[in-house]
Formats: sequence, structure tokens, C-alpha cells
Amino acid sequence: MTSEARRRPAFAHLVWWFLFAQGGVVAAILIPAHILVQGILGPLGIVPVADRHYDTWVRLVGNPIVKLYLLVLIALPFFHFAHRLRYLLVDLGVPAARSLPAQVIFYGGAIVVTAVTIWVLLTTVPISFG
Amino acid sequence: MKAPPAGAEAPASADGRPRVYKTGMSRGWWLRRRHYFLYIVREFTSVPLALWLLWFLVEIQRASNGPKGYMPHSSPAFVAFSVVCLGFALYHSITFLSLAGVIIHVKGVPPRVIVLSQFAMWLLASVVIAAVLIGFAR
Repeated sequence: MTSEARRRPAFAHLVWWFLFAQGGVVAAILIPAHILVQGILGPLGIVPVADRHYDTWVRLVGNPIVKLYLLVLIALPFFHFAHRLRYLLVDLGVPAARSLPAQVIFYGGAIVVTAVTIWVLLTTVPISFG
Repeated sequence: MKAPPAGAEAPASADGRPRVYKTGMSRGWWLRRRHYFLYIVREFTSVPLALWLLWFLVEIQRASNGPKGYMPHSSPAFVAFSVVCLGFALYHSITFLSLAGVIIHVKGVPPRVIVLSQFAMWLLASVVIAAVLIGFAR
């Protein structure tokens, strides 16, 4: 085996581990505020929230920086979740979750969520700088 | 894992098949200790967070229905779902950010300060997110 071929599995590991760590950070520092404001305070009418009305929500979602932010917010945590859920299954007595097909399903699922998020962000509201 | 005793390397059993080491893990091992249970809860936080993010994606997609068709979720069931998700989200944040002191090493900076900086970042991000979501409302 050449030294390059030997290094490759470690490189794949590095990529998944990096996505796992970054997804964890994004989930930790960004998600609670969204759930509190958009899931609880807004629907209860305690504070006005941009997603309660079509015009304010479209103005926000149309902004390219917001679109990029939403992609990071929604897609990256799924790489964290995929890794955690795979090992949760292993811990609960499903050793098959370690297998290659399981890896394809879990990380593939995260890639599918990423693709769907990109598609939704590009097709829902046209990009505008207003 | 216990090391096999000397001379026990792959002994064939009576019927000639090699013996296989079986891991001893019962189904309910994680219910036996509070510590184990909290570990499983920490790993499980992924499920409600994933569901909430998927709901959020649906809400973004709903904007394509136009001004008449756009109806943000307001039902008590949705608020209850969010309350449950917030509980899991906070548990993920606290456990994940607390680990920063173990993961990140900066020469001359004690782990406590690193953990504190992570929590400060969380607070700052939360304030900015709330300010944008509320500030752009009417």
C-alpha cells in the first residue's frame, strides 16, 4: 500500500469529524434562540416576530446573507445528528449501525437535507438586497 | 475489555468452530445509572432538534405560497412541541459547550476561560438572532 492510500481513510474521517464538530457548535449556539423566538414567543404573541407576516418574512428570507446563514443553520447540524444517531444505535445494541450501508444512509441523509435546503432557499423567495 | 488468559488464544470449541467473543451489553444498560441515562439523553437530543429544523425548512418553503397562502404555525400543539425541543436544545448546548475546555487547548488559557468564552458566544449569538427576528417584524 502506498503511503497516500494509507492516508485516505484518515482524511475521510477528518472531514466527517470536522462536520460533526462544526454541526455541534452551530446547533449549540444558534438553535435555542430560534426555537424560543419563533417556536414559543412569536406564536404566543409575546413579541412581534418577522416570520409571523408574509411581507416581513419574505424580506428577510430574500436577503442573500440570510439565505447563506439559513443554509449553515439547517444543513450543518444534520452532519452532527447523523454521527450521533449512528453511535446512539450502536450503544443501544445495533452493531449494524457501524457498517458501511449505515454510514451511507446516515451521512447520505445529511447530504440530502443539505441539497433540499439549498433547493428551498433558491426557489422559495428570489434573492433581493432590499 | 478483559484480555484473554494466556494460552486461550482462539481455542476451538468442542464442535471445532472457533469461539467468538461476545460483548456483554444488556438492552437496558443505559437505564441502570443516572449517568448512563443522561449520556443517552444527550445523544438523543439530535432527534427533536432535527425535527424542529425540518419544521423550520417547511416554514421557509411556505413563503412560496404567496401573501394569501402564507400561514405561520400558531397552534398550541406547535408551541408545546417547541417547548419540548427547547429543553433538548438547551441540554445539547450546555453539554456540548462545556466540553470545549477539554477539546480546545490554548497555551496559557485555563479551560474554564475557554468554556466561559463559548457560553459568551452562545449568549451573543442568541441576542443577535432575537434582535434580527424581532427587529425586522412589524
